[in-house]
Amino acid sequence: MTRVLAYLRRPWSWYVLAPILLVGVGVIVPVIYLVLRAFEADANTLGDLVFRTRNLHLFVNTLLLAAGVLALGSAIAFPMAWLTTRTHTRFRRVFTLFGVLPLAIPGYIMAYVLLATTGSYGTLARLFGIEIPRIGGYAGAVLALTLATFPYLFLNLRTALLGLDPALEETARSLGSGTRRVLLRVIAPQLRPAFSAGALLVGLHVLGDFGVVSLMRFETFSYALYLQYAASYDRVYAACLALMLLALTGIALLLEARLLRGLLLHRTGSGPPRRIRRTSLGAWKGPAYLFLLGTATLSVGIPATTVAYWMFRTEPGSLADLAQALWASLSASAPAALLATALALPIAYLGVRSPSRPVRALERVAWFGYATPPLAFALALIFFSLRSIPWAYQTLGLLIVAYGLHFMAEAVGPIRSALYQAPPSMEEAARTLGRSPLRAFLEATFPLLRRGLLVGVAFVFLSAMKELPITFLLSPIGFQTLAVNVWGHTNEALFGAAAPYALTIMLISSLFVGLLLMQSGRPMRS
Amino acid sequence: MRELLSVNDLTKRLPATGPPVVSALTFSVGEGEIFALLGPSGCGKTTSLRLIAGFERPNAGAIRIGGQCMADATTHVPAEKRGVGVVFQDFALFPHLNAAENVGFGLLSLSRAERKRRIEETIRLVGLAGFEERKPHELSGGQQQRVAIARTLAPKPDLILLDEPFSNLDALLRQTTRQEIRDVLKEAGTTTVMVTHDQEEALSFADRVGVMRNGRIEQIGTPEEVYYRPRTLFVAQFLGRTNLLLSDADGMEADTPVGRVALNRKAQGPVLLSLRPEHLTLKEATPGGTCAGSVLARAFKGHDITFTVLLDGSEYLVHTHNGMPFQPGDSVELEPIEPAVVLETSAG
Amino acid sequence: MPRTYASAVAILLALCIGACGESEPQTVVIYSGRSESLAGPILERFQAQTGIAVEVRYGNTAQLAVALSEEGIQTEADLFWAQDAGALGAVQEEGLPATLPDSLLDRVPEYFRNGSGTWVATSGRARVLAYSPERTTAETRPASIFDLAQEPYAGRVGWAPANGSFQAHVTALRTIAGDEATQNWLRTMQENGTKNYSNNRTIVQAIADGEIDLGLPNHYYLYRFLSEDPDFPVEQQFFAAGDAGNLINVAGIAMLASSTRQTAALKLIDFLLSEEAQQYFVQETYEYAVIEGIESPAGLPVANQVVPDIDLDALSDLDGTLDMLREGGLL
Repeated sequence: MTRVLAYLRRPWSWYVLAPILLVGVGVIVPVIYLVLRAFEADANTLGDLVFRTRNLHLFVNTLLLAAGVLALGSAIAFPMAWLTTRTHTRFRRVFTLFGVLPLAIPGYIMAYVLLATTGSYGTLARLFGIEIPRIGGYAGAVLALTLATFPYLFLNLRTALLGLDPALEETARSLGSGTRRVLLRVIAPQLRPAFSAGALLVGLHVLGDFGVVSLMRFETFSYALYLQYAASYDRVYAACLALMLLALTGIALLLEARLLRGLLLHRTGSGPPRRIRRTSLGAWKGPAYLFLLGTATLSVGIPATTVAYWMFRTEPGSLADLAQALWASLSASAPAALLATALALPIAYLGVRSPSRPVRALERVAWFGYATPPLAFALALIFFSLRSIPWAYQTLGLLIVAYGLHFMAEAVGPIRSALYQAPPSMEEAARTLGRSPLRAFLEATFPLLRRGLLVGVAFVFLSAMKELPITFLLSPIGFQTLAVNVWGHTNEALFGAAAPYALTIMLISSLFVGLLLMQSGRPMRS
Repeated sequence: MRELLSVNDLTKRLPATGPPVVSALTFSVGEGEIFALLGPSGCGKTTSLRLIAGFERPNAGAIRIGGQCMADATTHVPAEKRGVGVVFQDFALFPHLNAAENVGFGLLSLSRAERKRRIEETIRLVGLAGFEERKPHELSGGQQQRVAIARTLAPKPDLILLDEPFSNLDALLRQTTRQEIRDVLKEAGTTTVMVTHDQEEALSFADRVGVMRNGRIEQIGTPEEVYYRPRTLFVAQFLGRTNLLLSDADGMEADTPVGRVALNRKAQGPVLLSLRPEHLTLKEATPGGTCAGSVLARAFKGHDITFTVLLDGSEYLVHTHNGMPFQPGDSVELEPIEPAVVLETSAG
Repeated sequence: MPRTYASAVAILLALCIGACGESEPQTVVIYSGRSESLAGPILERFQAQTGIAVEVRYGNTAQLAVALSEEGIQTEADLFWAQDAGALGAVQEEGLPATLPDSLLDRVPEYFRNGSGTWVATSGRARVLAYSPERTTAETRPASIFDLAQEPYAGRVGWAPANGSFQAHVTALRTIAGDEATQNWLRTMQENGTKNYSNNRTIVQAIADGEIDLGLPNHYYLYRFLSEDPDFPVEQQFFAAGDAGNLINVAGIAMLASSTRQTAALKLIDFLLSEEAQQYFVQETYEYAVIEGIESPAGLPVANQVVPDIDLDALSDLDGTLDMLREGGLL
């Protein structure tokens, strides 16, 4: 506590403190709300609800799902990141793009597509006569969630591989290690921080998902939570489940912190940039291309074609509606992405530059906002905004703030990695050359964060484009985003009508991601 | 020489409740002087530098620059207002700016034309004319170093701080760069404080040296003073190889394992003496002499020779001119050519 | 100076008169759990005919109900249009809806409104037996919903326990057959390997895909699939006339007591009960009309020929049903 106070006393910190306070409030408010609601239940019912064996079942299922998605996701992301950065594989940029694009496809669409493709009435069966059993349950949930989230792992690993000092690898080779040994013993351990950052995002995503698990009929905590709201309009039991989910998140965060403890995240030194050594694949070339093509087909190709197929089967809808929805999506998601990144910046900055215990705690706290189920998050904001700032309720401003607070954690990781590449002495040099702390940061460090900031903006933008419950409840009246339209139509089994909206999400998101890759592809040198 | 920097009783604890990293540090630096803080890593020298630069706030003590209080119990002038330039160990050049832009970064208050002139002038001073447009990664290590110096010099700070400035350069480059930079600093007449762990660097670069250990200064003096008349065992050993003699003093002389030697000051009873290898020479053992040893090793180094002599189970180092004729196995006596230095029993 | 003063007063007066004289365009705000594809066109017609602007917040029925409870009287909404009676009941428990005038309530049979007159149904949805015509025959299909728990149907049936329509159906079973028999049925169904789906639509899709052969969805989803693919391999039928498996559920609308635009809100309810709107529901969304004299949707028997005699008000004991489903591990 005293150290927190010491922080507050620092003369330079108002522009650091303001966002941090906002984040703190934004994250703590939902928790307070949930606790208030949970304590409305009478003790007996609450006890019965919390300690029933079904929760254990849900707990095990949730863990199994997270483990499965992480395992399959790593199995895709590791080789993909390696192939696109460290080998002579052709079309590396294209494959990189395909490694990011699945982020543009909402998880529930991925699940719909998998369901619509397989089975005796599936597209595969009807168009090509290939009948594979309908995918569902655990396998279906793992597959759909993996395809929707592996880019988080892929992007983090890719950045880490690009930043890795080739000298280490060369040393290992000179000590007689073969490609495989170098991969396992030298490269893999170095990727730990990147992996854990990506894994945390994937893990929390899985914990909070209900779109996919409900379609795939696999019961997890968040599914049960959703059922409580959906079936019984029960805010009390749902709050209990949400708190349990947050406890689970807390455990995940502790695990990640432990995994990273004592790990020194080295930054690349000065001097001319080294050329990255690329491996020739030899006989493995064929399987490698097959793997890359297969993943791209499964994660982007099939969903895009299926949705396009839905679209061309039905009469075209109104273009004006589409344009309006697109504008709604953009007008909320783009500012939210900027806001979230702006909020994440001071947090990441403090975390890297003065990694004291309270700062670490604060960084962890930011993740709770991400892990709070969006519906509970939205209800909490209704609860508090109507009591404190009723004039802001259901305005675009509040929606943007809600998105920003909820998705901020996604931007922390990339900015943090970028900050490690910008030595603090640069800012100090600027200070001694007459710059105030803020200007020193803006002129010396900020220009080096471009890549990290862009990735942060992109992550939040893509997530906000797909968001549903917060949009439903907090948007201005009559405000219909692309995602709301997709949901509305698919929910009525009107896939054809939903398709143009879904395709627009994918298209806009890919444009955005493509632009981003072009930007971040330019080498940054220090 | 007018005093420019004075540091008084400076103490810094990191973390605030931990042991002091810098403890009651006191020294002053005159205008135009080059002062080096020398010590092993972890001795608090870099923290001292950061305190002077204004990156850290001291827990106690005061810093005055040019007579103006920069830090004490109530004052903390921020780094950007101290008029202090810093050259960092990693140079900290801005990768997104070219050499000229880096050098011009601190010239905020100048007009465009003046700014341009000052950049040109400073770049010429450090001998980088023609490299203005290069980005840092397009420059060699030595050139980066010079850009860093130029960037610091350009706004004409009252005081320049150098943090291990040559450690990022390879050995050959280090020697020449060091001399050139010293010339540049002297020409500009800038007061300089450098921290380093390299005693050779400190001795050859600085006008005066403060030897630090565990957050305290053990001795301040000219390079010759600290080298030839170390006050403590630590200073004697840290500044170069030396022979330590446990001896029994009586006034200006003492009995030592190598025989009776003269002392640099009066002492009484058991004392520890330091004799630099170059302050010893060898002579043929006198038959029946009590202090005879044998040559263990002989390293010929061109302009001199280093002998290792075994005497009563201890080894002694002796630097002699290259004409000394002894070979390993020869029986020799050690003969001091300067008085031995009486060391204080230093605390800790 | 006096002149400036006078002109300022004049301008102010003019502004005031302008503002007071011009009546504000009427609007009505509606939280709709019915998606835009179902509700949008008919609301547009209302707007075109009356000049009353309709502002809609589309969302998930349950989430909107919870949000309304959270908002309380501070809500902007004038109307809540829900996909099922359960959500309306939940909002009513919070004491949020106003009592509707008899002139509106009387337009529908008692079956289609609640006892306290706080909401009225806008359309009806039948619970049906959907099946694969390839993997079942008329003889092998059950006559009663209770038969589905029997061995021949092991692992072949799908239901959606979290779905409001299904829960209302269970409540109906309890009223008709009693709690014990219903609980027994739920248990034996589970033991028989009945599969849980998240909603009605996925049940129908799963039958098409061969994952299951029979299911208990609402009747109109099949038409959506048929409209996209006339050869969609699923059919549906009622159980034997009078069986508890046949039930008409409703989508309904309530006006919130906190509404400041009640006249306009009531006009909208009135419009939804008009012949025009009811025809729209039958023809465009394949639902049952709630007013007399309008035909059933394509190919379906008239509701009151197959539906057991039951009072919709009796379906309000949702809590009992939820407890039962929770005990059975279905929720």
